[in-house]
Amino acid sequence: MAETNTDTGLVGSVGTALPTRSDLAELSSSRKALLLMAPLLAFEALIFVVPFFILLRISVTEGSSDHVYEPGTWSLESYAVVFNSGLLHDIILYSFLLGAIVTVLSVLIGLFYAYAIWRSSGIVKSLLLLSVVMPLLTTLVIRTYAFNPLLSPTGTFNDVLLSAGLLSEPIQFVPATAGAVAGQLYIVLPYAVLAIYSVLATMDWGIVEAARDLGASRPRSFVEVVLPQVIPGIIVAAVISFAWSVGAYAAPDLLSNGITFAVHAEDLMIGDMRYSLAAALSVVMLVLMLVSVTAITLVLNRFGGDFDLA
Amino acid sequence: MSEITLQGLEKQYGETTAVEDVSVEINDGELLCLLGPSGSGKSTTLRMIAGLETPTEGAIRIGGEDVTEQPAYDRHTSTVFQDWALFPHKSVLENVAFGLKMRGVSEDERHERAETMLERVQMGSYDDEDPTNLSGGQKQRVALARSLAVNPDVLLLDEPLSNLDKRLREDMQIELREIHEDVEETFVHVTHDQDEAFTLADRIGIMDGGQLIQVGDPDEIYENPKNRFIEGFLGDTNFVEGTVESANPDLVTVESELDDTLTIPAGEDHEVAEGTPLELSLRPEILSIDRLASDAEGTASEADEEHEPMLADGSVLNTVTGTVDTVLYRGSTVRYSVSVGDSSVFVERTDTTEESLSVGDEIRIEWNGSDVLAFHTDGTRVGI
Repeated sequence: MAETNTDTGLVGSVGTALPTRSDLAELSSSRKALLLMAPLLAFEALIFVVPFFILLRISVTEGSSDHVYEPGTWSLESYAVVFNSGLLHDIILYSFLLGAIVTVLSVLIGLFYAYAIWRSSGIVKSLLLLSVVMPLLTTLVIRTYAFNPLLSPTGTFNDVLLSAGLLSEPIQFVPATAGAVAGQLYIVLPYAVLAIYSVLATMDWGIVEAARDLGASRPRSFVEVVLPQVIPGIIVAAVISFAWSVGAYAAPDLLSNGITFAVHAEDLMIGDMRYSLAAALSVVMLVLMLVSVTAITLVLNRFGGDFDLA
Repeated sequence: MSEITLQGLEKQYGETTAVEDVSVEINDGELLCLLGPSGSGKSTTLRMIAGLETPTEGAIRIGGEDVTEQPAYDRHTSTVFQDWALFPHKSVLENVAFGLKMRGVSEDERHERAETMLERVQMGSYDDEDPTNLSGGQKQRVALARSLAVNPDVLLLDEPLSNLDKRLREDMQIELREIHEDVEETFVHVTHDQDEAFTLADRIGIMDGGQLIQVGDPDEIYENPKNRFIEGFLGDTNFVEGTVESANPDLVTVESELDDTLTIPAGEDHEVAEGTPLELSLRPEILSIDRLASDAEGTASEADEEHEPMLADGSVLNTVTGTVDTVLYRGSTVRYSVSVGDSSVFVERTDTTEESLSVGDEIRIEWNGSDVLAFHTDGTRVGI
């Protein structure tokens, strides 16, 4: 095999660099796939992988008083700070708390909203889908910042509650965690809805009818038939919401006093010029995120089969 | 007791009326087939019995109990769907046990009963199989087992055989018939296939345009269809247009497009007047054919035609002659299209060993006038 191919191999390597049509046809399908993915892989390598290794390298340098970090040095002191600082622990905890709240809300609301789109038809369906996509047409910062006038003590939301007599005193939604949750939820919800809806759209309503016909009540048929099948969509929605919200920057920065790790990492770099500590914090967060996203996926996947309530 | 009463059942979707004033009594333990073309409202009627659609008007009683407002999950009905609607994320056994699970039957017991059901439909060795891996016929059996496992008072079948190939469909019809005799439950079966309805049904209900037109025993419906639609739907037939030429008390003659005067024996109180336009149905099975003999005899047979002879039992022999246009072999039968006058009729021969006719042959077609069904131009049956 190797011998017979020697000639063509030589010609190929010496000859033109661009593959001809017949060369392409001879490629195995996995090689073809690789070729098609090449632009994306190059992009990912340049924008993510290489910078990540630079980040990793910076995280193990010594801090410096006159530079942002001391190039060429090796030190684990930044990791020691991350592991021992109570302030950083609080920040990490707050980030995960925000992420968890937003994720639960976005999956729950997303699930019901997607179900509503699935069950509607005609103009209602189009309107529901359109209103998911519409917010994405506005810049993230503007639509996040818009929560300030809405949620502030003198804002629209409080005005309505006050004039309706539901409140006696305005509530301070912003700057507060509630505001950050609202802002971040508004950012991730469209993605959660679309992730879940894309799975629901492939499902046959007939099996829900079959379940009801066999004696399953409405909620029971949802739990027994719809939920187990929509798990893949829920996983995608949860992972997107969680990863994005734990690393949230804009919403907590604009709407909350609580500091998330992303906000703090920026402070460390721009304010304190402590690049190696910011890098070490980021690496620790990345590892924690990977662990929790894996855990979410594994736990949710267990429900992908048969729910057993009986 | 689980007889079903439908009373003035009506279903509207916006402006469209899918089902209109359907009333019928379905007896306990009976197998009723709702037969009709697609869009005739038969599936909608079935879905209303199942509780999957709410009637706009009318009432449904099952076993004497008014269930019109009852949701599907409270009714003792069970449906086999056209596309079977098996749960793709559950194993075959779990699919069949699902209804029992919803009724709070313990896991051991429901699995045991599901297994028995699967054996009943010859799917005993497929317990752990993923339903998406099954063939159409197997899915159909699993769906049937799943519906029967809950021991419903009424089993509703929504064209469950229509996605199967012909051979399998015919086998399943026999099997379904056996299962029905076995479980002694009331079955309502929806189909657009008249052969299927005749194979399965104790009684057939014919639906068209949202209305239940006629309900009756299969032979009764076939022999005595209420209108032209049913006559045309139940089998191939020749519709021949004509006008009543004379209407005597015992005999009606019709000037037809077959270039001949056709004669139908009539009862004394028939409602036909002279000059009435009619459509006559000549089914292929009432027509007998003969090759016209050579010229000499041909003259003799033409002489016969001059007087339609009234036979001793009151029937009247009609004879026309024509030329074979096309010959179509259909396996067990041969179908000949014969041009008669300006029109053409088709006839069939089941005995293919008989000397075959070929294109251009002159033949004589004969039938008994009392076997002909007559319809008004609006489709209603003419009482002769």
